[in-house]
Amino acid sequence: MSSTATLSSQEFNLLRTYIEKSCGIALGNEKAYLIDSRLSGLLAENACEGYEQLYHKAVNDPTNRLRDKIVDAMTTNETLWFRDVHPYAILREKLLPDLEEQFSRGRRTPVRIWSAACSTGQEPYSLAMALREYKRLGGRLECEQVQIIATDISSSALFVARNGAYDRLAVTRGLDEPTRDRYFKQVGNVWRLDESIKKMVTFSRLNLQDSLASLGTFDIIFLRYVAIYFSDEFNRQLFAKLEQALTPGGHLILGAVESVRGHSTAFETQTHAGGMFYRLQAARS
Amino acid sequence: MQNVLCVDDSRIMRTMIRGTAEVLGLGFLEAPNGKTALEVLAANADTVGLICLDINMPEMSGLELLGRIKGDERFRHIPVMMITTESCKSSIVAAIKGGAANYLCKPFKQEDLATKMVDTLGLAV
Repeated sequence: MSSTATLSSQEFNLLRTYIEKSCGIALGNEKAYLIDSRLSGLLAENACEGYEQLYHKAVNDPTNRLRDKIVDAMTTNETLWFRDVHPYAILREKLLPDLEEQFSRGRRTPVRIWSAACSTGQEPYSLAMALREYKRLGGRLECEQVQIIATDISSSALFVARNGAYDRLAVTRGLDEPTRDRYFKQVGNVWRLDESIKKMVTFSRLNLQDSLASLGTFDIIFLRYVAIYFSDEFNRQLFAKLEQALTPGGHLILGAVESVRGHSTAFETQTHAGGMFYRLQAARS
Repeated sequence: MQNVLCVDDSRIMRTMIRGTAEVLGLGFLEAPNGKTALEVLAANADTVGLICLDINMPEMSGLELLGRIKGDERFRHIPVMMITTESCKSSIVAAIKGGAANYLCKPFKQEDLATKMVDTLGLAV
């Protein structure tokens, strides 16, 4: 049996810096085990004797495939349908009525919502179902008036998301039975999302470290349980880009344990239904 | 249709992997041990696109079966994803060195398994 390479502190620092540069994920000293446990397979797969060699291979790989594999291995795909109650209450009771009002006052451009770091699709599809529910329960906002853009760094996760099918266990996490039965069709062990819901979401691959300019601007950004993985410096850069990606007065919804504090001063904190959300203030002179 | 062959002595694990294969629109074959797996492979080598292989199995271990698969020119082109536990790090490295294309640690969620299957099959490229 082959021996297992051990991670020296020098290698940890090399990879930690590389991972932060590649995708913004910050690893404290106590997270050395994460590199060791998640990247050990990549060592052998790439015929590397140690982590320093893996680092050099990744840096010198012009295709960035190894970089993507490292980033993929380090990121977690924790995701639920309608994760937490308050973001969807905020959407249903505050943001959508306000947007609806804009249309009655003559707005012509579609509402744009961005689900950043969408993983295997649960968040953007939850948003699509929330919109359909809003309309079904008497709202005047038409689904055609809303575009949902969903991005993730992992091509494989995006493939699963675009597929729009889940097994019995995956559809039980956060999805109540009436909603499941309304928007999914069961065929054997597979729960397949209604095509009309799938069509509401456009997926594309994006590394949040890169420019967001190609995405256009948004009325609402869902960036949930993402900032917690990132370094302060990366978050400052990311939030500066979010300020540009939001329309004036646009809203940002973060994870329950996350805040704009320390990352940006351009947002005004608002509360609704026991949850916080953030409004981009008008440009300051 | 491309088949996923699951080799695992746990029926629960085979059921979970079957469910994910179906979610991705893939066919499914199963074997509860290494001996049966080699028989299933011999009969279906042309249609198996991915083998999900448990490292810890009685009689023939996952690593031994991996060696047999990678040593047989009829099967060696088929990517193998090892199913293991976090505590088997040295086995993971041995498996990758022995030709496994990927690995997944238990416990895992269906989405993680689906994402790894897509990655190993190269479907997202």
